[in-house]
Amino acid sequence: MDSVFNELYQHYHQDVFQFLFYMVRNREQAEDLVQEVYIRVFKSYNRFEGKSSEKTWLFSIARNVAIDYFRKQKGWKGRILEKFDWSMSEIKDNVPIPEEIAIQKEEILWVFKCLDYCTVDQRAVIILRFLHDLSITETAEALEWTESKVKTTQHRALKVLKKQMATFYEKEGLTSEKVRVER
Amino acid sequence: MKKSEWSDKELIEILKEMPKVKDYRDPRDIYQNLSPKKRRTFLWLLPGIASVAALFLLFLIASNIIDNNQHSLEKLKEDTTSSRELARENQGTGNGINNAGILKDQSETPKTKVTKETSFQTAVYGDNNLQDGKVLIFWIPDGVQDQNLIPVATIVNTEKNKNWLSLFNENMARLKEKEWGLSDYYPLNASLRLDKSERKVIVDVPDDHTYGQGSKQETLFINMLKRNISSNSEVKQIKFTTNGKSGIELGNYGVVEEIDIKDEKKHAYFFYYPEGSNIPFLVPSPSVYKDINTAFDAMTGDIEEYRLERSLVPSFAINHVSIVDKKLLLTLNDNTKLKDDQMTVWSLEAVLLTAKEFGFEQVLVTNPPISNIGSFDLTREINVPLAPNLREIQ
Repeated sequence: MDSVFNELYQHYHQDVFQFLFYMVRNREQAEDLVQEVYIRVFKSYNRFEGKSSEKTWLFSIARNVAIDYFRKQKGWKGRILEKFDWSMSEIKDNVPIPEEIAIQKEEILWVFKCLDYCTVDQRAVIILRFLHDLSITETAEALEWTESKVKTTQHRALKVLKKQMATFYEKEGLTSEKVRVER
Repeated sequence: MKKSEWSDKELIEILKEMPKVKDYRDPRDIYQNLSPKKRRTFLWLLPGIASVAALFLLFLIASNIIDNNQHSLEKLKEDTTSSRELARENQGTGNGINNAGILKDQSETPKTKVTKETSFQTAVYGDNNLQDGKVLIFWIPDGVQDQNLIPVATIVNTEKNKNWLSLFNENMARLKEKEWGLSDYYPLNASLRLDKSERKVIVDVPDDHTYGQGSKQETLFINMLKRNISSNSEVKQIKFTTNGKSGIELGNYGVVEEIDIKDEKKHAYFFYYPEGSNIPFLVPSPSVYKDINTAFDAMTGDIEEYRLERSLVPSFAINHVSIVDKKLLLTLNDNTKLKDDQMTVWSLEAVLLTAKEFGFEQVLVTNPPISNIGSFDLTREINVPLAPNLREIQ
């Protein structure tokens, strides 16, 4: 096995995998995308300048891979339709919940579902900041943004999540009440 | 923790509680899977190169095909133009109606070839070994427009107690007109006999004869009789009967009982090529000429309306003629290059026959550039022929 691969795998594989998992919210897709990340890493490993840490560098690559994936999925038709049809953003198809999440408590499930309502950038910030415990600076490095952009994006992302959590709560409350009445 | 309002802190705590997700695959599998993906770029490179090569080949082939098409188009154009030119040429040489001319032109090469090996004479000469034979001349229509009556000489066996007319009657059925490319005119639908004094030929036709159908038929019939009788005998009169009764009904002439034969001479001889033949008949011109000089002049050109072609080849350039008694002296152009070939033999025969028409018995070339043309000895006087166009019928 390649020594470079070995090193990268040892230190960062699970982090990159988790990042991609939460980005695409699908295990199989995440597995495929991790492969893609490695390929890109090998291609540009010589060009790695050491300006940032290896970890943030890998995250930036993973993020680009994820963005490319979303672009591919939409296709050019979807991209054009998106420009004209704003109602599209409201309708989110029900992504099947991965097993790992399904077994967790309700709030976690809700948050996972709410992530769907965030933009890709917002989602990336949330994942890096709170799931991977990266600092604002590290996140800025990984996303190749300024720190203030990270902050505002994080703020907006939390706002979206809070709003969606509230709607989930209302829905859930209603169904539970209904259930009670029936009993 | 269920509530409708969430603080940032609460939300972040939940987020931090999110489960850690792990990739359970063996790193070796991951690494194994990388290699084909790495190679994928090279994998599509091969079909890429192949398709580029295929496109290149396609381009080559296509351009070739297009090129070929253009070539063949051009060729086609050339072909059509050349065939048109050929047709025009043919028309030029054919001079309108002269189809035989074309055929002759096409076979010119083989003709001259043949001649070099064995150039032959067409006429009958006094020194021919006639044995006991007699020369009979039959005048046969040309079979195309029947404008020309072509004299064909035959040598027939003579028997005692038989005059020329009974020989004529006997032999006219043997003529091979079709084979010679002429009109199938003989035997005649008439009986010819001499009257007691042998000064008249009595021509008896049946009631249903067709010689009176149209002026062309009538003229042909009368001219044919005149020519046949005058060239074979000294008879000067023809008497007609129809089924024993005096006279013949000919549309334009009315009822004809007797015709006088005038001895018409002073014709010039031309070449007539039957269709499909490259051997000419030597045929007297339809009109007569006042002297032999004008006759020779005429023989250097065609008579198109009668499909008669020039009988003097350009190399047979007669400078001037002089006359000593019944001998014609020919002086050729000094620089003329007379050839010993078939065409020149026939030209010389035309000269001899024309000289005979003007009453000469011998012809001498005073300045022969060559000693021989065919079997003719140019250094000596040449006797004029007995008759033109010898053909065998027996």
